[in-house]
Amino acid sequence: MTIATRAVTRAEVEDFLFREAALLDEWRLDEWLALFEEDATYEVPTTDRPDEDPLRSQYYVSDDHELLTARVRRLKSRHAHAENPHSRTRRLITNVRLGKPMGTSLPVYAAFLIYKIRDGNVDSFVGRYEHTLALGDELRFRKRRAVLELEVLRPGGRLSFIL
Amino acid sequence: MAMTPVAETRTGLHGRRSAHVLEDPEQQIFRVNREVFRSNEIFSRERERLWDRLWLYLGHESEVPNPGDFKQRTLAGRPLIFCRDAAGHVRAYLNACPHRGTILCRETEGNAKTFQCFYHAWTFANTGELVGIPDPGAYPPERGFAAQMGLREVPRHENHRGFVFVSFSASGPTLREHLGNAGDYIDLMADHSARGLEALPGTHLYGIRGNWKLAVENAMDGYHFSPTHVTFVEYLKTTGYVTSDEGGLAVTLDNGHSVLIFSGHGGRVGMQWEPRFGEGERLRIAENVRELTARLGKERAERVSHTSRILYVFPNLLLFDIEGLAARQLEPVAPDFTDVRAWELAPAGEAPEARALRVRILGSFIGPGGLATPDDVEAYECVQRGVVATAGDTRPWVDWSDISRGMQREARGEPARNVDEAGIRGFWRHWDSLISGAAQ
Repeated sequence: MTIATRAVTRAEVEDFLFREAALLDEWRLDEWLALFEEDATYEVPTTDRPDEDPLRSQYYVSDDHELLTARVRRLKSRHAHAENPHSRTRRLITNVRLGKPMGTSLPVYAAFLIYKIRDGNVDSFVGRYEHTLALGDELRFRKRRAVLELEVLRPGGRLSFIL
Repeated sequence: MAMTPVAETRTGLHGRRSAHVLEDPEQQIFRVNREVFRSNEIFSRERERLWDRLWLYLGHESEVPNPGDFKQRTLAGRPLIFCRDAAGHVRAYLNACPHRGTILCRETEGNAKTFQCFYHAWTFANTGELVGIPDPGAYPPERGFAAQMGLREVPRHENHRGFVFVSFSASGPTLREHLGNAGDYIDLMADHSARGLEALPGTHLYGIRGNWKLAVENAMDGYHFSPTHVTFVEYLKTTGYVTSDEGGLAVTLDNGHSVLIFSGHGGRVGMQWEPRFGEGERLRIAENVRELTARLGKERAERVSHTSRILYVFPNLLLFDIEGLAARQLEPVAPDFTDVRAWELAPAGEAPEARALRVRILGSFIGPGGLATPDDVEAYECVQRGVVATAGDTRPWVDWSDISRGMQREARGEPARNVDEAGIRGFWRHWDSLISGAAQ
């Protein structure tokens, strides 16, 4: 498709998402953080009310860029006990669809299945991404939103890793 | 290893001495046998003596604000319907059709005038009456059949300042008697706003691979804050706030309840400023404190506004007045598994910018995606995995956890610090009095 800034294909978006997944699975968090615009957000709504407004509701994660930076800094510390040692993760990202671009913003939808393995447990987290990408020279996150299909975070009751 | 009890290690001890809890004030030792976290038999006894008998926190009345609003909620393993009936009264029904026991309400939440069982199409008003049976002439009309077969309410429910509790026992102490002096600490939270509190949309629902009592110990343990939450402490430091453990207290309350009082772990939205809240919030806080003082008087206004608190209401409720306001409900599933539900609370009708700050600040700390709670979950789960190591080990004290910290200060009559373990001891004493004694 053609937009004001440049054309973008689903293959390019998929490459971006797959590279992002690899960075997270390899715990290369500084490189991952560099994929975000300066005013970007990272959101995970609750499982019972995924459509609520993050400004007036309880979320699992509702980070502005500053809190996201603090999250990455924390996860890199050996004192982030919930992830020390790190979980093994493997992210399967599929069913990628592009939304209608608005100026330099491109909505992107995808399905995810993330396996998180630690302490003898294999926990799976299934859901969908509802991202907004910024269309600069390179793609970046303007909003990174992960919506879980789970009814309850069970048995793996922590989002100590990046969803 | 032999499974013999630890009788030989008990000799020479005084004070509390059951199979589960040993307290020796002379030697200043307090220990808990780790079987309490592992045993199916103890889990069953807890169901019978605690969960089926005591007052349990069900939810906040603001979760069902309008007539007809309902939510499903499982408490002590029993599926319930928490709702507001057509007349505006909060109700708690067993979510099982009186006819044959089918789960009656299968939507997790919604608004309905009636509940209809899909199995045989019996229909109940949200006030409890059986209002529809297909072919009602199949039952003798003169015997009052419909009146017998109304929705089953929980035997008792009571509301304390918006916090709704239920009891599965038809008799026993009133809620007020059960709460005792913990009631005033609930009031300190309810007093935040003249318009009352409301539960925000979005519930944290998560399972932890640990015994429910580990979640209580963790919450009543200010000792773990600095080592466990070092990354959160470091984050606050980058925003210009330096935490401190100084001046905090642990207060043991009636009936196994306890409260930790903090002065230096962080600010609270609407009450105590810290740099990351920004200048607008500094002005709102000054205004809030003026309003509190006018409404409650200076002394109580200061109690409400100046300190952070974590209140434990035995057995299933934790109220957090730290960073923001939250209620956490513990639902034991198995000796080694607990479901947790947590709601964020806020002054009703709060200004949008204050609300936006509140949800961001509380979320930075608390919950499965926060920068602190996951490390608490790691702690409960690591204890649960660790206590298996000593099962059946009869060597002195090997299969016992130590909860003695601060007994020395207690013996000198000094107030207990929140970095000691007094609040946890209060919990265990009450738990033990209910579990280790003969059934009543």
